[in-house]
Amino acid sequence: MSVLQHAIVVFSLISFGYFVVLNAVYLVFTGIAWRGVAHHRHLHEFSGAEEAFASPLTPPVSILLPAFNEEAGIVESVRSLLAVRFPELEVIVVNDGSTDSTLRRLTEAFDLAPVRKAMRSTLSTAPIRGSYASRKHPELWVIDKENGGKADALNAGVNAARYPYFCAVDADAMLESDALLRVAKPILDDPDLVVATGGIIRIANGCHVEHGQVIDVALPRSRLATLQVVEYLRAFLVGRMGWSRMGSLLIISGAFGLFQRSLVAVAGGYSTTTVGEDVELVVRLHRYLCERGEEYRIEFVPDPVAWTEVPEDLGSLARQRRRWQRGLAEALWLHKRVALNPRYGVFGLFAVPSFFLLELVGPAIEVIGYPTVIAGAALGYLSVTFLLAFAVVAVLVGAVLSLAALALEEINFRRYQRGREAARLVAMALAENLGYRQLTTLWRVLGSIDAARRRRGWGEMRRRGLGYAPARGASRGR
Amino acid sequence: MIEELGWVSGALALLSFLLVCTLAGRRVTLARAERRRVDAEERLRPFALGLVEGDSISLPPLNAYESRALAVVLTRYARQVSGAALARIGAFFEDRGHVTHELSHLEDRRAWRRASAAHALGGMAAERAIPALLKALTDPDRDVAAAAARSLGRLGALEAVEPLAYALRDGRLPRAVSAQALLSIGPPAVPRLRDLLADTPSEVTVFAVDLIGLLGDASDAPQVMALLRDTSAEVRAHAARALGRLGAEEAANELRRALDDRIPFVRVNAAHALGAIGDAFATLALARQARVDGFDPAEAAARALARVSPEVLEAVASAPGAGPHLAQAADVAQVQA
Repeated sequence: MSVLQHAIVVFSLISFGYFVVLNAVYLVFTGIAWRGVAHHRHLHEFSGAEEAFASPLTPPVSILLPAFNEEAGIVESVRSLLAVRFPELEVIVVNDGSTDSTLRRLTEAFDLAPVRKAMRSTLSTAPIRGSYASRKHPELWVIDKENGGKADALNAGVNAARYPYFCAVDADAMLESDALLRVAKPILDDPDLVVATGGIIRIANGCHVEHGQVIDVALPRSRLATLQVVEYLRAFLVGRMGWSRMGSLLIISGAFGLFQRSLVAVAGGYSTTTVGEDVELVVRLHRYLCERGEEYRIEFVPDPVAWTEVPEDLGSLARQRRRWQRGLAEALWLHKRVALNPRYGVFGLFAVPSFFLLELVGPAIEVIGYPTVIAGAALGYLSVTFLLAFAVVAVLVGAVLSLAALALEEINFRRYQRGREAARLVAMALAENLGYRQLTTLWRVLGSIDAARRRRGWGEMRRRGLGYAPARGASRGR
Repeated sequence: MIEELGWVSGALALLSFLLVCTLAGRRVTLARAERRRVDAEERLRPFALGLVEGDSISLPPLNAYESRALAVVLTRYARQVSGAALARIGAFFEDRGHVTHELSHLEDRRAWRRASAAHALGGMAAERAIPALLKALTDPDRDVAAAAARSLGRLGALEAVEPLAYALRDGRLPRAVSAQALLSIGPPAVPRLRDLLADTPSEVTVFAVDLIGLLGDASDAPQVMALLRDTSAEVRAHAARALGRLGAEEAANELRRALDDRIPFVRVNAAHALGAIGDAFATLALARQARVDGFDPAEAAARALARVSPEVLEAVASAPGAGPHLAQAADVAQVQA
């Protein structure tokens, strides 16, 4: 056997092995997620969010909204936050040195007036230029600061926050009115144990939006965005639910997460040296609490929803995915010492190594694996029949995992009411593995390379803003 | 190997097909069930209303589904009515055997079934279920205990006050659930809560004093005031907060003294309370705290001063060395004027 042949066969075996491990993990997670979501649904029947809303003992929350050049949707986003139901809250928008009309739009829409706001100096941030309070909404504050990046803006928000918990929300996200009550439920139930929670992110493209609220849930017209709907459902309902149930949730989306303010401040706030500040913070909180031997929980809650706009063009999507992967890689690399360290329990022994293997190494294996096995088959080193049979299995496993996530959604939440939309989601779940998955894997590899090359910057995303309403029935006509 | 892969492919294809069929089937079934439920509830609503209002009505013969639908409607009404109407709903569920049925489910081996029964009994206004629900507070499953707590609250079960406080202390119940149950019981729970203020673990005292602050009145102030000198900072802080909620003017002296407490959290609550009471004698002390104290107590003092005396706030905020908290409070007062 020649060296080339040997190399191709060995790498093909590694690729097959990776495939088996990856899908075995996802299948186990699907089972765990089914149990988790079903339990949550039963619980929800007895304990509605109303209980927390009615209770004068519910602790107040500061909502932090970092904004950089968000003129397209900032007013709608703030409106959606002001419509959030919670006994006591404040909304702090941090304008991170926007060069567009973000601040002007906020000033006009909410009748802002300059005030001298007292701020902690716990976390260092770029200089604050000014603070504003709203004449219309006493609970709204706007902090105007020099540009320092999203993490820096969030740190300024943590410094300005008055209440014991803060909810970080992306400027392009819209919270459902009871989302905060629901995401806060585990903290309200166990304030001594639960230090952070995250909700589900759903895709607003195609939905009918009025005054910062999703009035009618519909699928996007764009196929690319619809593929992302399936992908998000699988990632949140299966992936995050599974990790959460195992006590090792590593990611709380930056678009919607609730944290204990004092803990985040004492742990050093958001890291300004990575684009994955949301992942890095959660990993650091795990590390901080494990090192102090404290009992704690970080939980994913499947029903509180933040709606967000996703890219509808390949360029924006590629930039977004490369940035996400770069952030994940930077965060994991920063905390590499946690991996396989028994001091960190399940988090160190299983979660971090799994992320290294499945999220960093895995995509590279997959991307190299495709041409390798094809070359192996072309050169006659691998059986073509075997390769084709394996490809069919790979596509079917992917389809089953996506369909299981859709079934979870359908049985427990059923957000997409129209039968035609459900059929379209099923079609996308089947089609997702024929091109889209491979493309996102390639972007992830490029993202890891960006991290290794210490590339900076966020990249642009072409946005339409959430205030627009698609023509009624437009998505149904497809 | 290829043959095995063929089998796996077949199995996966079948699984995919079944998942798609399940999705489609469930959609159709749910839509039908929803229509059936709406029809049944619509049809039975006049009977339910008549029953609640005490009209003499003769129910038509109901099948099991309709019987459940009527129970659902009545359970909904039970949460909105009280007195004789609630008693009539309770009697209906008792006469029809629903209460006995659900009580038997409290012993079920499946936790979700026990939780469901505990929840249902509260909606049935079933006072006979109180002892069983008190027992369910010690259920090893937290969801069952929480459902029982909520139902005890809905039933106004005074005998649940102490068990609810201790279940919270022992970690068997979420704090929010215990508190909400007692808030549902309302002011009649206060005398029993007062009994929990002395010689109890500090978690129980804190819980009781919080609830007294929300449910009590001025006559409870002396007992709460005594707690401002408790050895536990948590107790002192919550006592201060409760005195503010009670509007206890006679506690102003003690609260001003608490502004010098060594624990910041206590000083925060003392400032809040003085603001809530509107203690005019506290303005200088609040202004000083707003100028020199740490972030949280200073902010609380500035806000309290804004409530007590906007004029004094304006004056001290414009003085040199006023600090950021007084400046913020003054600016906010101006913006919101």
